[in-house]
Amino acid sequence: MDPQQPEPVSYLCGDCGAENTLKPGDVIQCRECGYRILYKKRTRRIVQYEAR
Amino acid sequence: MEHGSVTDSTSSTFSIMEEDHTLANSVRFVLNQDPRVAFCGYSIPHPADNKINIRVQTTGDPAKDVLKDSLQDLMVMCQHVRGTFDTAVTDFRQNNPTGMDIDVNKKVA
Amino acid sequence: MPKKGTKSSKGTGSEPKEQERRQKKLPEHLELQRTRVVCKFDGPVNTEGFQYGGAFSAMGIDNSVSVDKFCKDFKVEIKRLTEDDVEFDMIGIDASVANAFRRILIAEVPTMAIEKVLIADNSSVIADEVLAHRLGLIPLDADPRLFEYISENDAPNERNTIVYKLHVSCKKGSPRLTVKSGDLEWLPEGSQLPLASPAQSRDKKKTYTSFSQSQKDILEKPLGVKLKDITIARLGPGQAIELEVHAVKGIGKVHAKWSPVATAWYRMLPEVVLSEEFKGDDAEELVKKCPVNVFDIEDLGNGEKRAFVAKPRACTLCRQCVTGPSGEHVHLRRVRDHFIFTIESTGALPPETLFTEAVRILEEKCERVISELS
Repeated sequence: MDPQQPEPVSYLCGDCGAENTLKPGDVIQCRECGYRILYKKRTRRIVQYEAR
Repeated sequence: MEHGSVTDSTSSTFSIMEEDHTLANSVRFVLNQDPRVAFCGYSIPHPADNKINIRVQTTGDPAKDVLKDSLQDLMVMCQHVRGTFDTAVTDFRQNNPTGMDIDVNKKVA
Repeated sequence: MPKKGTKSSKGTGSEPKEQERRQKKLPEHLELQRTRVVCKFDGPVNTEGFQYGGAFSAMGIDNSVSVDKFCKDFKVEIKRLTEDDVEFDMIGIDASVANAFRRILIAEVPTMAIEKVLIADNSSVIADEVLAHRLGLIPLDADPRLFEYISENDAPNERNTIVYKLHVSCKKGSPRLTVKSGDLEWLPEGSQLPLASPAQSRDKKKTYTSFSQSQKDILEKPLGVKLKDITIARLGPGQAIELEVHAVKGIGKVHAKWSPVATAWYRMLPEVVLSEEFKGDDAEELVKKCPVNVFDIEDLGNGEKRAFVAKPRACTLCRQCVTGPSGEHVHLRRVRDHFIFTIESTGALPPETLFTEAVRILEEKCERVISELS
């Protein structure tokens, strides 16, 4: 990943469940309902585990 | 690796890496049956190391040869076990047609 | 020294040497110590036996087990053989060798097991690492002899890696879904997940494995999981699992998931001897004492009843029968060179194959050390 341009990260609203995309510096607030608790969405990037 | 003296080949300690009780105890048993062996024993110097020491003292023959013969004997014994087991399985299958779970213990009981 | 038994020559040996060997017998008490472990009321005695082959050389008796003698006397009797377990008697072998087979079965016979789990999505309540661990323990229906070990620097290819995928989701509004091991789908062409590394222009699609050909072409039968109804996870509405697993060859010493057996164990054959007749009420009492019904009562006619040992094999050596005043006439023993061996396979290989593989591994160990000494 390019360190210069941080990727926007998706968050889910804790109240209405709408998806929000935030960049560094953005206000942490849902665009749909204005709720201020957002949860980070699980990455689609592959995570590797050892089955032990 | 063999640890012994240069002048006396009848007593030696053999260090074998990557082995444990599985081989050591079996070899010790076979060594004990050899009339040329005066003393034999094994140890695992440290439980965290994967290593065994086998001590062999003979009545005259080189310890290395006696140990090698014992390993050879153990191998022949294993081959015989395998052969006997395979025959027993074949016989069992012939006497008991496949597709049935047969338990001799239950039949007797 | 008691002279008992030294003169008893059984039949006429064909060879004079054979006759000589048979004539010389150990006195009864030593023979008992040599061939039996005696189980007394407060514990077993004489568990060691006589290790040394020349233990009785002063008496002119050979205690050794030469290879020829071993091959002549060794016997195997199969008692039960099913798809996933076997019980057999191994007679005429030392505990050290029998134990070597058992140890090898548990820790050194290779199997295939899931080692890497690549999780793309897991929104279930079960944590990723717990899910990965559960997947690792699933027995796979793949013959390990058809595969090679993968070392750290090896690229995963069709000879050393098996790939399965698990794509399950529970629709919104539907009831909870149980994810079973049968939902794992074999990918004979290798991984389908693209590598996240910077896009390489020469390879259009680089995945986690580099298969040069389909495993369908190398293997005779399709691979799967042995048991299809093992619960892996449960999904609530809207939850999903999307992952890929890589199975590799390994041994139980490294991790128990590679152990090919549920268990493998042996026990020495129990022997129960009554040194005095148990009649009438004593007989009833003895039969009642045993929880596994080793004893039974026979009718002697004229209304008399006598206890006899009916099923010594069932004996668990609980030592109930040697308690109490009548206990001194009951003798519990185990036959030192008679092993009742049981192998329960987890499914990758049939139990009888597991045993022959274990024996072969011991042979290979000997061979390795011989060549190292040369």
